[in-house]
This record gives sequence, structure tokens and C-alpha cells, in this order.
Amino acid sequence: HPSAMAAHGRGQRTLSFTMETVKGDAPPPSVQQPTPVFPVMEQKPLPLTGGEEAEYLLALKQDFRGAMRSLPFSPVLPVSCPDVERYSDKYNRSEQMDKLLDWAPDWKRFPRELRVHVRKPARDSQYTLYSDYTPCNQVMMKKKGVKDKEEVLLKLESLEKKEEQETSEDEEGETKKKQEEEEAEGEEEYDEEEFEEETDYIMSYFDNGEDFGGDSDDNMDEAIY
Amino acid sequence: MTAQEVRLCGLLLQEHFGEVVEKVGTHLLKSGAQNLRTIIHETGLSVDLVKKSLCVLVQHGATTFSSGRKGLGSPTEYHTSCDRILRILRYPRYIYTAKTLYGDTGELIIEELLQRGHTTMSSTVKTVADRLTQNMAEGRTMDYTEVSSTFSKLVETHFLQRCPPLPGTPATPGTPAAPVNTAPPTPESFPECYKVPSVTLIGRGKRQLASEDGEEQRSAKRAKMDPETHGDEGIYWQVNFERFHLHFRDQTIISAVANKLDQTSSEIVRTMLRMSEVTTSPMATCTKPLSANEIFRSLPPSYNILRPILDQYLTLLVDDPMEFVGKAGESGGGMFVVNLHRALANLARATLESVVQERFGSRSARIFRLLLRKRHLEQKQVEDFAMIPAKEAKDMLYTLLSQNLVQLQEIPKTPDYAPSRTFYLYTVNQLPTARMLLQNCYKTVANLIERRLFETKESKRLLEKSQRIEAILASLQASGAEPEQLTEVEEMITAPEKQQLDTLRLHINKLDSAENQVDETIFLLESYINSTNASS
Repeated sequence: HPSAMAAHGRGQRTLSFTMETVKGDAPPPSVQQPTPVFPVMEQKPLPLTGGEEAEYLLALKQDFRGAMRSLPFSPVLPVSCPDVERYSDKYNRSEQMDKLLDWAPDWKRFPRELRVHVRKPARDSQYTLYSDYTPCNQVMMKKKGVKDKEEVLLKLESLEKKEEQETSEDEEGETKKKQEEEEAEGEEEYDEEEFEEETDYIMSYFDNGEDFGGDSDDNMDEAIY
Repeated sequence: MTAQEVRLCGLLLQEHFGEVVEKVGTHLLKSGAQNLRTIIHETGLSVDLVKKSLCVLVQHGATTFSSGRKGLGSPTEYHTSCDRILRILRYPRYIYTAKTLYGDTGELIIEELLQRGHTTMSSTVKTVADRLTQNMAEGRTMDYTEVSSTFSKLVETHFLQRCPPLPGTPATPGTPAAPVNTAPPTPESFPECYKVPSVTLIGRGKRQLASEDGEEQRSAKRAKMDPETHGDEGIYWQVNFERFHLHFRDQTIISAVANKLDQTSSEIVRTMLRMSEVTTSPMATCTKPLSANEIFRSLPPSYNILRPILDQYLTLLVDDPMEFVGKAGESGGGMFVVNLHRALANLARATLESVVQERFGSRSARIFRLLLRKRHLEQKQVEDFAMIPAKEAKDMLYTLLSQNLVQLQEIPKTPDYAPSRTFYLYTVNQLPTARMLLQNCYKTVANLIERRLFETKESKRLLEKSQRIEAILASLQASGAEPEQLTEVEEMITAPEKQQLDTLRLHINKLDSAENQVDETIFLLESYINSTNASS
């Protein structure tokens, strides 16, 4: 006699009785397949409590989530080096690296072993870092640019201040790091359409068309013109 | 920790700190305490990313570190627990509570601390002053002293506490050195926990001007980097979640009394709780006894009830089956306590009953309530007491049984366990049922988050397009464009696309709101379960 209760698979307990022994009537028909993914509900659930407080809590929640995204607490995986180096890469890379650098904890409260030394690929490479020789970076390092005077001044000031924080191994690396921070900071504020740094084109110029039509992978029958 | 808890924690970490931190955090949750090299090896992530992730996790209190178990010299071990991460669900409620108690200033202070994990008082005050100034009328700024005083109030009422000094660091004189290899000491075990440092904080908030170019941002950034000292270096503060939880518990009891009885009764209970705030320990089952005389004197002036009326209300509260208030003696006109544990247990019970009612109908709920009260009943007794015909009662019982909301116990009459000579008793056990329901809640929230991520992903292209258009609009407006140009840009989104965006927004809001609401249930059940564990 199939025990309808055991068929529901609740844990490893098997019941030592069957439906028929507890009561004389026939048991409900046993279920032979997994339950449906979205079963019809006999009782409709109540609506969410609305009201001013609920609305405010909702706004707080969404604002918080948005705020966390702009804070430097989300390290990201570096973009894997594409097979073909693209001109647009030079401009797309900057954003990721800022986040990695923007926040330094109070190291007195953290284990020493967690200190990170971040080296960035050269952008305006007056200095090259030999420890960073990946194919991407080699190419990047070849591109030299002009540094603004103001950035030099800013960099010098911030260098003084940041000296205590970083371990002073490679001063040049630090200099460049800070300079890139400033640059990158400045860049982030720029609107898409006004990108002063070395190019006359707006950012969407650098869209290399890889995203286009990415969703229609299923329709391989159609010819792509 | 259960699989559901780990899954939910993973989603919360991902939403707030990204996939990399999620990977490290989830790994630690599953593996227990590990040292850095093992984590790097087992997650397969780069050294730098693991280090950075651990920093983020430690900064936000999700991960603690201690010297290795094998004694001095063994590598530092990192330990992550679910509890702290699950608190992220409740952040909106903490922020909102701070707002109701201490206004916008309090709200922003708590929000800053939740966003940053832990910070110093001086940096919080400055940032909050800036933010408040931003929203003030032109020309007005927020003074640091005002923000400092709100910060101090939050510390005095224990909503904020100092981060405990690390083991091995030179402690302030008088505190014992923490022994190695024990559980990390609680923040409250340090005597300075609630001491506001004397800081020199003079100034006003700075309004951040709309930047014409990167210059303004850079100078603002420079200002932040320059290390003005204020006398509180090295003293870090964190939000004291337990204190907020006590507040929530009190609020829940007060509003339950208001719903069940009336406003005056709830004011009496509110008064009793307020009087007991500092004399009641967090895990106490009831408040210290208060005499009716004391309560009468402490009632808010707006409640002008006569003394005999107060006595009547107190009697009413004591007699109520929810057992919010109990009588502890006769002196002083009667000694009364608020039954904290009983109130939580009864509120949890009401929650369970409500769940059964909403999922299975009011008659199944009647059976459930019956079994909660009568403990063990045979099938026939259930049918009789619940006044439900046999066939339907049986169906309902079996449905509840299959959902594990009701259990069956066998009591044999004879040693051979023959079915015909065995009692089969239905029973409900409140504590295990509450635990099960709590796990269901975790699963529910995880499902809600996943659905929300799915909906966002489905409409990703449309969302990006809409964001780009908004950015273009914003920049056009800033540079003073013609209205025709603006409408031209707005029309780049077609009407059906707008419709789709509106629907998406509606769905996301619903899912987010549902998360908040489920967390209310989570809080109640967690409080009940913790209170039961503490009192047993």
C-alpha cells in the first residue's frame, strides 16, 4: 500500500503507519511525479502592506543599494585580456582600477598580510613597471601621452600626504598610481559626450559592436547582413 | 548554518559588494575558519582580490580574524558568520528608526556607518554635515556641533558603540588582556564602549558645487585626503544592532497591545518599558517589577487618567491571554512586570497561526490553534473539538502533516506496536515549527532577490538605454538646451518601451518591498527563538 505521506519526501523519516491503519477510508491517490513548479494556490496571498512607512523603507533600501555600488567596497575581476587589443580598451579600463585603490583601511586594525600593492598598467607611461609585463600592458606602455601641469602639482601634493599610508617600495609606482587616480577621478565626472582626454570622439564611438545583436543567438538560421 | 542561510548571505554579499566578495564570503561560510593561503588556493582567485575582499568583509564586520588555532606563529585565520550578513536585510529599518528618534541627522549618521562598516566620529560628523548642507536652502550650512551632539546622543542611548580594540593591541589601562584562542570579546566587555571621545570638531558642512570640470571634484577629494586631526584617531564606531533589536521588540509589543486592546493600554505598556530601559538586561524574560504608584507618576502628562482607572487597565492587561503584563506582588499598589519572553512567544505563535490560515484556510488554522493549545489530540478529538466533519478534518490534518506543520506521535498500548492497539496523537511543537518557518523565510527572501535580479537582467538593454538617455537629458539641461531638443531626446524611448520600464519598476518595487516585509517576520521569529534559547 503506497504511503502517501512518505511520498512527499519530507526528510528521511518513514512513518510506521499507513493511511489505512489510521483510518479505514481509502488514501488519496499517490503522487507519481514531481510537484508542479508553480502550483495553483488555493488561497490567494494577501497584498503587501503599503503605506508611508513601507514606501519610505523601500526608498531607503534602494538608495542604499545604489550608494553601495558607488562606494569602493566592490572589487571586480579584471577584464580578461582580449585576443585583439583595441583602441577603446585604453579608455574602458580606467574605471575598474579606481575602485581597487580608492579605499584604504586603517591598517592598524587589519592583519598585515592583507595589505595590497596594486600596480596599474601604464597609461601615460613616463615610467614603466617591469613587474607588469603582460601582453596588454606592453602595448599600453608604448602609448605615451602628455601630462597636464596641474596634475603634476596635484600629484606632488597628494604624494606628501599619502606617503605614510603606502609602503614605500616603488615611489615611481606610487606617483603614477596617484596620478592615475586623479585622472581617473576627473574622468568619471565627464559626461560621455565631453571626453577631454586625448580623443575627439564620444565614448560610444569606441563601442566595438560586440554587444550588438548579442541576444539573438538563437536565430542562427537567419542570414546576418 | 543552513544551506538556505548561506544562499541568502551569498545573494546579499553579491548585491552590496559584488561577485568577488561574494565568492570569498560564501567560501568562508561553507568552509569555516581558514587562513589566507588556503582561501586563495580554494577559491582560485588572485591574491590581490582575495586580500581586498577580506578587507571589505572585515571592514563591515562580516568577517573576524584571530591568530591561528595552533598557537602563536600559526597563520591568521578568518571566520565569517551568517548572522552579521543577514542583518543587511534590516538596514532600512535601522536607518528609519534613527530618523524617528533623532531626525534627519540621526538618519544620516546611521546610514553612513552602515555604508562604511566602521568609521571615526570625526569623519562621520564631517560627511554627514556635508550631506545635510547639500539639502539645505541656499546659503545655509549645518554646523558640526549639531551633528556631534546627535552622534553623542546615539552613543549615550547605546545605538552606537565603539569597535572593540583588537586582541594583542595595547589596551586602555584597566582592561584585561584578552587571551588568545578564545571567542572574540563582545564590544560591551570593554569599559570604554560607550564613551564619547573629546574631539575638537569646529566647522560647518561644505556644499558641493556643481562641477564644471573635474577641478571641483579634485579639490573636494583633496580636502578629504588631508588628515586634519581631531583627537579621536584610532577610535572607531559601529552600529549596535542588538540595541536596535531591543527597540524593535519593544515597539512590536506596544503596537500589539494597541491593536489588541486600545491606545491607553499601549501607552501604559510603553511607559513601563521606558522606565525599564536601563534596568533590564537584553536577555531578561521580564522587566524588573514596577509598582502601580511608580507607573502612575511616570505616565506622560498628556495621559490624564485617574489612578483607579490605571488600576483597571493594569488588571485588564494582566488578564489578557497574550500575557503582555504580569503581576509580581501586591506592595506599592501592585507590582507589575512586562513579560518580554511570553510576549515574544505569543507573537510568534500568532505568526505561525496566521501563516497556516493564509496558506490553508481558516478551518485548518482552527485545527492548528487547537493542537497548539491542547498539545496532543487523537484524530477523533480533533474532529470533535474543531467541529469539522471527519473526512475534511482528515484531509486537512494530512495536508498539515505533509507540510510538517503538524507531527504525529505514536503511543503504543502493547509492546508489539500493533496499529490497532496504538494511540496516534497529533501534536504541534511551537519552537521547531518556528525554526522551520524561519528557514522558509530565508528561502523566500533569497527567491525574491533572485527574481528581482532576473527581471533586471531580462530588461538590461532597455534599462541601459533609459539610463543613457537620462544622462543625455541631464547634460543637455545643465548646458541650457532648448525644450525641443529635450523632447526630441525623450522621444528616443518609445511608448511601449516606457510601458515596459514602468512595469519593470513596479515589479522591482514590489519584490523589494516584499523583502522588507518578510524581514519583519524574520525578526520576530529570530527574537522568539533567541529568547527561548536564553531562558532555557
